[in-house]
Amino acid sequence: MIFKIEDVEVYFPYDNIYPEQYEYMVELKRALDAKGHCLLEMPTGTGKTIALLSLITSYRLAHLESPIKLIYCTRTVHEMEKTLAELKLLHDYQVRHMGERARILAIGLSSRKNLCVNTKVLAAENRDSVDAACRKRTASWVRALPADNPNVELCDFFEKYEKDAERALLPPGVYTLEDLRAFGKKHGWCPYFLARHMVQLANIIVYSYQYLLDPKVAGIISKEMQKETVVVFDEAHNIDNVCIEALSVSVRRVTLEGANRNLNKIRQEIDRFKATDAGRLRAEYTRLVEGLALRGDLSGTDQWLANPALPHDILKEAVPGNIRRAEHFVHVLRRLLQYLGGRLDTENVEKESPVSFVSSLNSQAGIEQKILKFCYDRLHSLMLTLEITDTDEFLPIQTVCDFATLVGTYARGFSIIIEPYDERMPHIPDPILQLSCHDASLAIKPVFDRFQSVVITSGTLSPIDLYPRLLSFNPVVSRSFKMSMTRDCICPMVLTRGSDQLPVSTKFDMRSDPGVVRNYGKLLVEMVSIVPDGVVCFFVSYSYMDGIIATWNETGILKEIMQQKLVFIETQDVVETTLALDNYRRACDCGRGAVFFSVARGKVAEGIDFDRHYGRLVVMFGVPFQYTLSKILLARLEYLRDTFQIKEGDFLTFDALRQAAQCVGRVIRSKADYGMMIFADKRYSRHDKRSKLPGWILSHLRDAHLNLSTDMAIHIAREFLRKMAQPYDKAGTLGSKTLLTQEDLEKMAETGVQDMVY
Amino acid sequence: MSNQKKRLNGGEREDEDEDDAEGIGEWERAYVDDRSWEALQEDESGLLRPIDNSAIYHAQYRRRLRMLSAAAAGTRIQKGLIRYLYIVIDFSRAAAEMDFRPSRMAVMAKHVEAFIREFFDQNPLSQIGLVSIKNGVAHTLTDLGGSPETHIKALMGKLEALGDSSLQNALELVHEHLNQVPSYGHREVLILYSALCTCDPGDIMETIQKCKKSKLRCSVIGLSAEMFICKHLCQETGGLYSVAVDEVHLKDLLLEHAPPPPAIAEFAIANLIKMGFPQRAAEGSMAICSCHKEVKIGAGYMCPRCKARVCDLPTECTICGLTLVSSPHLARSYHHLFPIAPFDEVPALSSLNDNRRKLGKNCFGCQQSLIGTGNKPGPCVTCRKCKHYFCLDCDIYIHESLHNCPGCESIHRPKSVSLMEE
Repeated sequence: MIFKIEDVEVYFPYDNIYPEQYEYMVELKRALDAKGHCLLEMPTGTGKTIALLSLITSYRLAHLESPIKLIYCTRTVHEMEKTLAELKLLHDYQVRHMGERARILAIGLSSRKNLCVNTKVLAAENRDSVDAACRKRTASWVRALPADNPNVELCDFFEKYEKDAERALLPPGVYTLEDLRAFGKKHGWCPYFLARHMVQLANIIVYSYQYLLDPKVAGIISKEMQKETVVVFDEAHNIDNVCIEALSVSVRRVTLEGANRNLNKIRQEIDRFKATDAGRLRAEYTRLVEGLALRGDLSGTDQWLANPALPHDILKEAVPGNIRRAEHFVHVLRRLLQYLGGRLDTENVEKESPVSFVSSLNSQAGIEQKILKFCYDRLHSLMLTLEITDTDEFLPIQTVCDFATLVGTYARGFSIIIEPYDERMPHIPDPILQLSCHDASLAIKPVFDRFQSVVITSGTLSPIDLYPRLLSFNPVVSRSFKMSMTRDCICPMVLTRGSDQLPVSTKFDMRSDPGVVRNYGKLLVEMVSIVPDGVVCFFVSYSYMDGIIATWNETGILKEIMQQKLVFIETQDVVETTLALDNYRRACDCGRGAVFFSVARGKVAEGIDFDRHYGRLVVMFGVPFQYTLSKILLARLEYLRDTFQIKEGDFLTFDALRQAAQCVGRVIRSKADYGMMIFADKRYSRHDKRSKLPGWILSHLRDAHLNLSTDMAIHIAREFLRKMAQPYDKAGTLGSKTLLTQEDLEKMAETGVQDMVY
Repeated sequence: MSNQKKRLNGGEREDEDEDDAEGIGEWERAYVDDRSWEALQEDESGLLRPIDNSAIYHAQYRRRLRMLSAAAAGTRIQKGLIRYLYIVIDFSRAAAEMDFRPSRMAVMAKHVEAFIREFFDQNPLSQIGLVSIKNGVAHTLTDLGGSPETHIKALMGKLEALGDSSLQNALELVHEHLNQVPSYGHREVLILYSALCTCDPGDIMETIQKCKKSKLRCSVIGLSAEMFICKHLCQETGGLYSVAVDEVHLKDLLLEHAPPPPAIAEFAIANLIKMGFPQRAAEGSMAICSCHKEVKIGAGYMCPRCKARVCDLPTECTICGLTLVSSPHLARSYHHLFPIAPFDEVPALSSLNDNRRKLGKNCFGCQQSLIGTGNKPGPCVTCRKCKHYFCLDCDIYIHESLHNCPGCESIHRPKSVSLMEE
């Protein structure tokens, strides 16, 4: 359907549109008009992605004189593929209705592992080794070696791509990763480098958060983007954590040992070069004297180095004199490693600010802050000079240099925490030195500064006013949308008491109480006997889950559950969990029914959908607060309080509730779907906790469902499941319309939006 | 002690109606079972009034009618009049649950009984068999046959709920039975499923495909919640899947399966079937019947081919295998082929012009006034062909029992009016 939002003609590939999608588009358009950033919360399953894509592409078509570019960031490759598939549909529709004018180039960009078509390279097992295998074949010095050298193996695809240099272009269209691979295979061009090249020209780019947020990667991939770009962060409820992780480094003993080995290797290489090709080292030296700004002349494939600091900081200065020579630099690194090793030997937990860390480093090891700042760049320059291709082996030393540069660059927003052992296992010495970033705005600041509009959107962004503070930006639009539904297809409940009327909670003083454990168990036993197919349970932590399952096993509750449904458990092992998930799905498919025990903040809670019969019920046992004794968390809380005036309690509650909402939100992915959510903890009935849940859950949380005991919850569940099993009326007959047609929209444009929708 | 228990029960009932009738006086129990309070609702002014369900029921009925006619959209459709139906009843542990009173098991048995009678009434040429699931195994209660009494007797025999449920075992067993029926017959399975999971010995997906291949139309009525596998089964085999909300709904859902479903397209080839029309044996003549092997005096039919005596019609002669029917049976099946088109709803009588109003003051069927209480026009419907008006009760009666529109009949053949009045 085609309709107008103010002055923009919107092309929407479906015949009907949900009211909330329309509103979402209106808000988004206002943000684009104002050239500002925006925060939009809309429940999953309401077609957020297609609304976003169709508005932005239509907006672009309406303003062709200064076309905007779209960068769409997703969390996983799977989401990337889904987005591209929708985009393809939209693009076909637009081309059909507008002709060639609407043609755009849209590509997905991922790591080499996902894009490579060279079978030999793909044989490597993980991402880093695929990268290394690729570099081994494509580095400029490798290719410069004579072709008849039998030891040199080149990548045919890359060679062809290089040969066709100027002609190697993608014709307009939408390319998923699969399409890119197919295209690359057909033309004999390397899809990865082709895609990277096309990023500069494409109208729409879909890639992962890291390409924009992690300064190490962002410098290469995203540096030449125009200002007139709209950046979208999808599923961005955890964006602050992503930002923080991008700037946090942890160093263990293994890292230091590895780094030492790396240094030895580098040392050998330097000696070898001295003997054979001293000119090269000298050339590097002169280049460094002239400053790093000149390194732009490196050829395309060699550009894998980048700087974790903000680029302009470092480009203004030249590399300090005392690390320009390779040997000197290696000496500096040795001293640094020695110092770090010494610090790791501590018996106590230590917490330090970067400033005092740098000063003590200066006094004890004689390394200045300025030297630290350049470590990362200097290392990569050296590795290029030494023609080192197997970069995956040099990860430890890279980590150390990364650490050094971050410590040297930022005086605020970080802290260094040294812990001699893991808090939970005090007798096993496992010293770790963590540089943890507390300020999410550091990593995302360049993005906000550089691009015209940044859109942060997710199904769960509540409370929506906290995000601008955490990321320190000013949104021009921040709204939370409700879901229009033809029936009450979600049924959230707060369970506060067990069947014996005693309160249940995972509060620290109550969690090991046998009564609570038994009540939780009884709840689950009853629920599995009345809920069909799949049930998902989320626990607050792995240790709690292990404990409670062990107790259930002893008391026979687990056996009772197994009579009704099979039990699957998430573990920290990814492969094991994937296998468990597969079998869980199979059990749901074939009617046996299954329960999945999972952990909030785990992999499953973040990325796996339990839609349709895979999840008819989610039980959230307890409130998933973070481990409050963790030194890093305490340091972050302190920083948040001092800098952003966010109270500790507020942040903890916010974080716990967004995790809980994320967990229960897994259950429903479309309007035709239905599911129940049980929040099993007495603390959820308190207003300060409950009110932080997203609006679309709250609006279905009836007052009568706020303080339930097990038997009442069971009764409600039974009724709900019966009601939902009745035939589903898609268009919605009663009262409010939930599917709008073209005529409805035209009418709406006349009468004004607000009074039509609600 | 008992006092305490009673209070507990009372307290619970305040929250939910999850109580069991134990510990309640006999006089109370009548009310508990009756649940008369559920038939009340509060109106705008806070007064209690009985719920007026007739409009809801009528809406439900219209939807059903539309659904049937939508399936029959376009020209005349073929319907399977000769049906071979297996009713599978799940007597696993879940059937003992008490959310239907007195228990799911008893309620199921009661309504299946009613269904069997209704089924034979509407499909005199068809046959039914019963299968139960207990302890994860499927048992044949009765083989295919045309006598309602034998089925009902076998069903009521012993009601107990035990063990797990297995959909696959039931399907395998039914498949084995139905695979042998002649190709002109319609193979159908109706499953009443109270459990929420199925413990199968093998891959149920294969069994479903097998059923699909042998053209078994599987329908499921769930008693508690929607299960994916049941939905999948029904989708694959072209059956209906529904879940009962309460006892009345369960009855409705069951009875929906009584009229013959449209024939599966690729299966609907015209076929000649050999049938015998046996004579009723003379009063007082003695013979041993071939079905029960008992001596019977009078009351029985004689197979026209082998002269064997059978007790009930329709059936298959146990000696020569001839299908034995009586001519009224055939005639009664006939109306399914020529259903009356659903009547159109008339929005509000007052909006019509005078001419129409004069015509439609009374229901053409029962001659009752169509003007409802307070001189407001009551809801009514009109036949598309003869444009006569009918009240809602007559609408249901005409479509579900009479199968003739009195209006149309009186226009085209005035003679038949007298017949209608009988």
